[in-house]
Amino acid sequence: MDILNVENIRKSFRNNISFGKEEVLRDLSLFAGEGEILGFLGPNGAGKTTTIKIIVGLIRPDSGKVRILGNSVSDRRTRRLIGFLPENPFFYPHLTLEEFLIFCGKMSGMKGKMLKVRMESMIDKVGLARHKKKRLSTFSKGMIQRAGLAQAVIHDPDLLILDEPFSGLDPLGRKMVRDFLLELKDRGKTIFFSSHILSDMEALCDRASIIREGVIVKNVGLDELFIMGEGKVEITARGYPECMAGEINQYADSVQRSGDETFIVVNRQEYVRSLIQHLLNNGAEILRVAGVQPSLEEIFVSEVAAVENGNQKTTTGEIPRVETSV
Amino acid sequence: MARIANIALNTFRESVRGKLLYIVLIFGVILIVSTYILSPLSVGAAKDKIITDVGLAFISFFGVMTAVIAGSTLVHKEVDKKAIYTVLTRPVSRLQYLLGKFFGIMTALILMVVAMSVVMGVVVVLGGGSITGGMLAALFLSFIEMAVICSVVLFFSTFTTPVLTFFFTICLFAAGSLSGDLRVFAQKFGSGTMKYVIDLFYYILPNLKLFNLRHEAVHGIAFHYSDIILTTVYAAVYCSVIIYFSYLVFSKREFV
Repeated sequence: MDILNVENIRKSFRNNISFGKEEVLRDLSLFAGEGEILGFLGPNGAGKTTTIKIIVGLIRPDSGKVRILGNSVSDRRTRRLIGFLPENPFFYPHLTLEEFLIFCGKMSGMKGKMLKVRMESMIDKVGLARHKKKRLSTFSKGMIQRAGLAQAVIHDPDLLILDEPFSGLDPLGRKMVRDFLLELKDRGKTIFFSSHILSDMEALCDRASIIREGVIVKNVGLDELFIMGEGKVEITARGYPECMAGEINQYADSVQRSGDETFIVVNRQEYVRSLIQHLLNNGAEILRVAGVQPSLEEIFVSEVAAVENGNQKTTTGEIPRVETSV
Repeated sequence: MARIANIALNTFRESVRGKLLYIVLIFGVILIVSTYILSPLSVGAAKDKIITDVGLAFISFFGVMTAVIAGSTLVHKEVDKKAIYTVLTRPVSRLQYLLGKFFGIMTALILMVVAMSVVMGVVVVLGGGSITGGMLAALFLSFIEMAVICSVVLFFSTFTTPVLTFFFTICLFAAGSLSGDLRVFAQKFGSGTMKYVIDLFYYILPNLKLFNLRHEAVHGIAFHYSDIILTTVYAAVYCSVIIYFSYLVFSKREFV
């Protein structure tokens, strides 16, 4: 059973300038299973935050359904199953961290000693034990982000929805959040998060959904990245004459130069040996031969560019061609 | 119920830890004490009556102003700064949220009214007077009036800005204080349509004159406790209806 199931949601907002309606989400669907980490990628204004707000019940869709463990999010009991960290969070500045987490726990139906124990444990987990008696008004952006993560998980929800969880964190903070999310995944929690930091997404996600102009344009399994790169080899050579680059173009998927070095990506294994021979024969030194796989960033850029060029793709499996230059 | 109490406690903390309540409280206390100092200059009236009259008026005025200012900013600030996301994404209904806000502001107002009443009581006793049942009844009705104003503020704050909420509520406060007089005036001199319109306003607007027992308290005029009970019931019904309308508006609201 899917923990999160978003089916064909549409959402329009009134445009105060043109007095018309602007469609922000167009038939958007996505899902996340138990113990899965689903990344949510998209350029600014693609509809990520609107989607997230619909999932947590802050906005109602014009049509379509959001189900969490099979229940509608408009039923307030369902919201007990969700932990939410908004983008650029702002919390009650007059409360201390302890008071704030107790407040959040009580709002989610927790009470008594269990809440206190949980609160202490979450404060330790996000590394704010020294600051628990301080008011949130004195917290830095990174500390607020950590406090936000603690409030999102205080009630041990099954589904964690995080909007830009790495925003404002220093490298240690990012590592802490990554480790914490992986620990939650190990405990069977489902995590759905948006981020612009693709390296973190690659390190964490099982899958990533790419949204563009209110539509999911690609679903990528992170294990697919290996398959998508199967058979590709990158050869790095030094000293290959630039004037001869035209000779290898027909065999290579891409050829790029940086200073004295040439980077050649070959799509077919049978070309590798002859290409290396050709490079050696022309006085080049082979620095590295390695298999390649596309990064999430390359896929993201490719998908966004594809839509911008009116060439929208919705299937998986095709490796995007990176721009070549010789 | 626990969630409403939790939101109310948070709102109370916010009000008490904010500076507004203290500023208003200190200002109110200074004015009440200054009445004691200045009352010997008055001619023909008993000193304790002047202190009681001015003291009750100040408590009512500062209480209403606090309800308007705190009520108009608290909800809007939470929505504007997105702190409300932390609450509404949990198993909390929007009605519970509004009730929590209402009771939180009311708890802060109780604290403020009690503090100012104690100061006034001390000043009255020092001025040679005594604390009467009429004074306590007048204070109680002032507080009930603040509850009505607070519900109105909450209603406006669910859909408009703090400045407009303040403006609308002050207008409504003025109209509600005069609605009884206007009705009498219209019935004596007005045309059919005017009578109908003023009657409509009379029933829609809160009749705030009902909450004014200051004249009776100052001059020791007898009053019926049943009137106080009826006025309290009227206020409870009025607040409930207004909070329900607030809920209807707030439940449709989207947090874009």
